Amino acid sequence: MQRGQALKVGLVLASPIVVYFAAFFIYPLVNLIQNAFTSDSGAFTLANFQSMLSDPILSVSLSNTAYYFVGSVALEYSVGFIVAVLLYAYTGRLKTIFRTIIFLPLMVSPVVIGLMWILILNTNYGPLDYILTPFGLGNINWLGSQSLAMPSLILANTWEYSPFVFLIIYAGLQTVSPQLYEAASVDGLSRFQTFRFITLPAIRPSIVVAFLLNSIGVLKGFDLIYVLTNGGPGFATYILSFYTYVVGFSFFETHYAAAIALLFLAIIGAFVFAMLRFTSVEEYLGLKRGKGE
Amino acid sequence: MSEIVIEGLTKKYGKNVVLDDVSLKISAKEYFVLLGPSGSGKSTLLRLIAGLEEITSGSIYIGARKVNDLLPKERNVAMVFQNYALYPHMNVFENIALPLKVRGMRKVDTDRKVREVAETLHIHGLLEKKPKQISGGEQQRVALARALVRDPTVFLLDEPLSNLDAKLRVEARAFLKRLQKEVGITTIFVTHDQAEATTIATRIAVLNKGRITQVDDPYMLYSRPNDVFTAGFVGSPSMNLIRGVARKGGSGWEFHSEDLDVGLESPGLVSETEVTLGVRPEELEVSKDGSGLGGSVSNVELLGSISYVTVSVGKTSLIIQLPGKPDLEIGDHATVRFSPESVLLFDAKSGMRIEEKA
Amino acid sequence: MKGRNLLLIAVLTLICLVYLFPIYWTVITSLKTNLEVFTRPPIFFPSQFTLSNFYVSVDVFRAVSQTAVGSIPWMVDSTIIAVVATVVSTFLIAAPAAYSLVRFIRSVWLARLILFMTMIPEAVFVVPFFIIVAKVSLLNTWWGLILVYISFSAPFSTWLLMGFFNDVPKSVEEAAQIDGLSPYQIFYRVSLRLVTPGIIAAVILSFISCWNELLYALVITFTPFPAGAQTVPLFLTSFIIVQKSFAWGGLAAAGVFTMLPTLIMGVFAQRYLARGLTMGSVKG
Repeated sequence: MQRGQALKVGLVLASPIVVYFAAFFIYPLVNLIQNAFTSDSGAFTLANFQSMLSDPILSVSLSNTAYYFVGSVALEYSVGFIVAVLLYAYTGRLKTIFRTIIFLPLMVSPVVIGLMWILILNTNYGPLDYILTPFGLGNINWLGSQSLAMPSLILANTWEYSPFVFLIIYAGLQTVSPQLYEAASVDGLSRFQTFRFITLPAIRPSIVVAFLLNSIGVLKGFDLIYVLTNGGPGFATYILSFYTYVVGFSFFETHYAAAIALLFLAIIGAFVFAMLRFTSVEEYLGLKRGKGE
Repeated sequence: MSEIVIEGLTKKYGKNVVLDDVSLKISAKEYFVLLGPSGSGKSTLLRLIAGLEEITSGSIYIGARKVNDLLPKERNVAMVFQNYALYPHMNVFENIALPLKVRGMRKVDTDRKVREVAETLHIHGLLEKKPKQISGGEQQRVALARALVRDPTVFLLDEPLSNLDAKLRVEARAFLKRLQKEVGITTIFVTHDQAEATTIATRIAVLNKGRITQVDDPYMLYSRPNDVFTAGFVGSPSMNLIRGVARKGGSGWEFHSEDLDVGLESPGLVSETEVTLGVRPEELEVSKDGSGLGGSVSNVELLGSISYVTVSVGKTSLIIQLPGKPDLEIGDHATVRFSPESVLLFDAKSGMRIEEKA
Repeated sequence: MKGRNLLLIAVLTLICLVYLFPIYWTVITSLKTNLEVFTRPPIFFPSQFTLSNFYVSVDVFRAVSQTAVGSIPWMVDSTIIAVVATVVSTFLIAAPAAYSLVRFIRSVWLARLILFMTMIPEAVFVVPFFIIVAKVSLLNTWWGLILVYISFSAPFSTWLLMGFFNDVPKSVEEAAQIDGLSPYQIFYRVSLRLVTPGIIAAVILSFISCWNELLYALVITFTPFPAGAQTVPLFLTSFIIVQKSFAWGGLAAAGVFTMLPTLIMGVFAQRYLARGLTMGSVKG
């Protein structure tokens, strides 16, 4: 196909998304940047960013976010990873059933998940409190206590998100060629050695991608917090995504909100940048130029 | 009407020159083969003729019409791909019918034409099936049907037999040859298999590294190769090629290399020249004793009616073709005899064949 | 080998029970009578089943309504918005864009940009999007929310479909070229048909995310059909806020029929979704 015509067709096909891109990405971004760097009068100012440094709620949000992030990712990732390995090791007819069940939490709306865990975490009538009573952890106001609200949130989030990690790792495990295992068994490796020296290196891309996607997913999370704790008690479960919303729609401080939004974007951007270094977009899309014959 | 003329065709990908100033004339109704190793540019040449790639410089004429800037569908060519490229989501009938449908042919006429072509190719029983439900050989015939249904001017085939198993390949070869003759269409066939090329082609163009080394009928290619590459590429097992020097000695011209000396018959040379000597396996004789070059048998391959015996003369290995089962085993001492008329000489630097004196 | 498998089955069953438990608990609560809901110890398997919770009278937005029936206006909104957004996003925007990026505009940076766009948190653009929707007077309307949802769904679907389009063999498209099809015809009649699994995955994932979305619905819509365009998650949140201490049965019931559509969709389309959800990090 002639080079010029190909480009024309390509542009025509891509025009809808370009329009969308302009309206819903470029324009909002410009709007945010504009707002972040101006004050109400329209003058250029860095005050919005300076306010960030002295904002107590922001620093609480950031430390909460770190807490939430580390706790969630650690828990979700380990659980998801272990479950993936376990299911992978299992050979049998129940495999599909197991996989379907593990898959379920991902299909449930975060709002409903919030609802579920409200019921479960209730101090008086919820099953969790009841089950933990014999261990001396009963009669606790899980969602209402400053110190336990975040762990409760992390627990609910793990239930929701660990299947996501599971999915990625499991998919990665499936791409490992069985011949590698056959060679390993002929070479005399034990099961553990095979896992450590063959399987793990083979799924390294999945391991990294799962971690990064998990991280990004956790940082993005809003719905669950809104429903489960609404940021409380007090500011105990204020995380960055939640605070960004609050500043915009509870405080109505457009300029400050824009500054915070940009901060949030930058943080996510860092993770995406890391992810891009580990995934080969070119390979995924076959964009490497082919050789002539 | 459907001759193809290619003038000075060059194709570059960035700095990479894939085809270098290629010129060809293909007559109407010829079964023309582009032969060469992978990377030689033969598929690229075919794709340029089809219009799937852009020409860097040069021209292509189909039936006296310059087609450089024409889209594939405007060139009225048909192509069969190595993996047949059938539309997986359509059944056989729809696959064959699509080219006609796109040209706005009426359903009634399309129906008739498709069935006609299906009959010719013996696939009329498969019309309802989907590509994944039929065998490789059947898929190939569907691809052929789809190509022929449009009555194209030119028929382009890109290694269509590579995906078939050996026996099927031989059958398909013969089938294609008959079909081509029957339909009488100009056909360009790309392959890296020289046996395939020599059995079906009226003429062959040999390509190496983007250049044409020789265009000739199969017999001439075999007996009078233009250069060392062609000599070594055409013919299986390959021609024996030995480097050395040709010089005039006391008893006439002779070839001298580290391991052997062979008398030459009036080579077209004036002075001492570095040459490559070529001789086909069937032109050599081997015996356990007797006159000739001494060596030892290093390999024997039995093929039933003929055998190939490899004899090591010093560091040089020579392959000799013998009828039936030879009375030689690995390790035996043997002598090899050259007949000077059957020997070909190539200039060692340019690779070109040196003509004998008339 | 057998013994090991049995152990795995035991462990995996335990894990599955843990994953199932919250769902189970919600469903079972929705079927309990009020008597059995507020007990300690909590009753894990009720002696009495009732469907009355699905018809709980509730004071939502100062109007008396019943859960299942009462949620219908929100259901209508959610369905229409999700369907329209999904169809427009997948077929009119994502599919052509994905095809274009893979076959014509083969730009690695654009592909990375698309990937980046799928990762942007909702909270970042919530204020600007509100301003945009307000400016075109589409607040509290279907199209207001649809347009916003498309902007999230399109990049993700595009990314997903890019992987699938890449797997379509070029030779089939070239055969179509030679057969005389124009590039648009090739896209529509050949390539698009060959990425059906991808389309299914994109449609389902897009629908589910539109159905479950909260933040933008919260900000852009205020009243339900027919006066406005509030979606089911909003119905649920207000239900929760109002009912936190009382009609738990009703609460659970509301949760049940909210998650039912997406749960069923997810289970049936599982194998299509696996690839989509891993964002193409793994081939096939």
